[in-house]
Amino acid sequence: MLFSQARKRDVVNTATATRVARVDGFVVLPGPPRVALLRLGKVSGAGTLLAWEDVRGFGPDAVTVATDAVIRPPRDGLEQRAEDNDLEILGKRILTERGMELGSITDVDFDPETGAVTTLLTKTETIAGQRMIGLGGYAVVVSA
Amino acid sequence: MTTPTPMLLLRASELAGRPVVTLSGDLVAEIKDVVFDRAGGRIAGFTLRNPGLFSRARKDSLPWLGVHGVGRDAVMVPDETVLTAASELAPRKQARDADVLENRVLTDNGRDLGRVVDVVLHSGASLDVVGYEVEASEALGTAGRHVFIPLPDTVAVSGENLIVPAAATEFVSEDLAGFGAAVGAFRTRLREGAS
Repeated sequence: MLFSQARKRDVVNTATATRVARVDGFVVLPGPPRVALLRLGKVSGAGTLLAWEDVRGFGPDAVTVATDAVIRPPRDGLEQRAEDNDLEILGKRILTERGMELGSITDVDFDPETGAVTTLLTKTETIAGQRMIGLGGYAVVVSA
Repeated sequence: MTTPTPMLLLRASELAGRPVVTLSGDLVAEIKDVVFDRAGGRIAGFTLRNPGLFSRARKDSLPWLGVHGVGRDAVMVPDETVLTAASELAPRKQARDADVLENRVLTDNGRDLGRVVDVVLHSGASLDVVGYEVEASEALGTAGRHVFIPLPDTVAVSGENLIVPAAATEFVSEDLAGFGAAVGAFRTRLREGAS
């Protein structure tokens, strides 16, 4: 499933059957690359992050959670950067570990069952997810 | 699968301003200048400045041993811990002496080939000095034009005059694209001549 397709999806609490948030973005971490957190919008509480482990199902129509309590504020520096959008992968430049730029990321393909990132897409290239070494404020770094 | 790294030749001046990026994808500095190793025709490292328009020089530097890769778009480092104090890279005076720009290139039989305008580097397992870009003198028949002169693989890039073997004049290139092959051919010739 592509990030572009999965964005704006409703987050539904299965206990109350109510919509509690909307998916605004994805926080990808390397080694092996995976969706570690969802960034949410239209939340009622203070937190905007949802850890992948706390997602019950990533379905074609909605993302489900068992309770609102799993939607939470950042817990560490890395999560803070994620919430601040510093680690947003879409639009970020890709550099190889040898210092060559390969363009910028237009979309990401991931497995909605596991959260594993399978492919990074640019305007002209598809890059295997396993090549991703790092993701920082400046670039996504991939193996050469 | 790994694809072979293409032979990358670049001018030392092109490295100025290039971002220094960690393998975790964070920008830590920009290259300010290249510091040459006096003895071996190699790069000792880089001085740094902060990224941005009104960038200031920094007191830390990047030794060559801390570099993971030098490419067209960035200089890659494992992480920020590889940066060291600038004074460790080269004492100020030594760094100044190693500045070869404006120096004249003389052949070992005493011909003046021109004035150095840039240093050509080859980026591979290490970053090596492979030649000079010079503004050619009358001796080269292309007076006033910029040409590339190959260097032996162990030449000092310091001193008032830069001495190259006379045979270097046979391997002069007018463009950087063809220069890689010229360096290879020149160095092969020197090795054969020495044996």
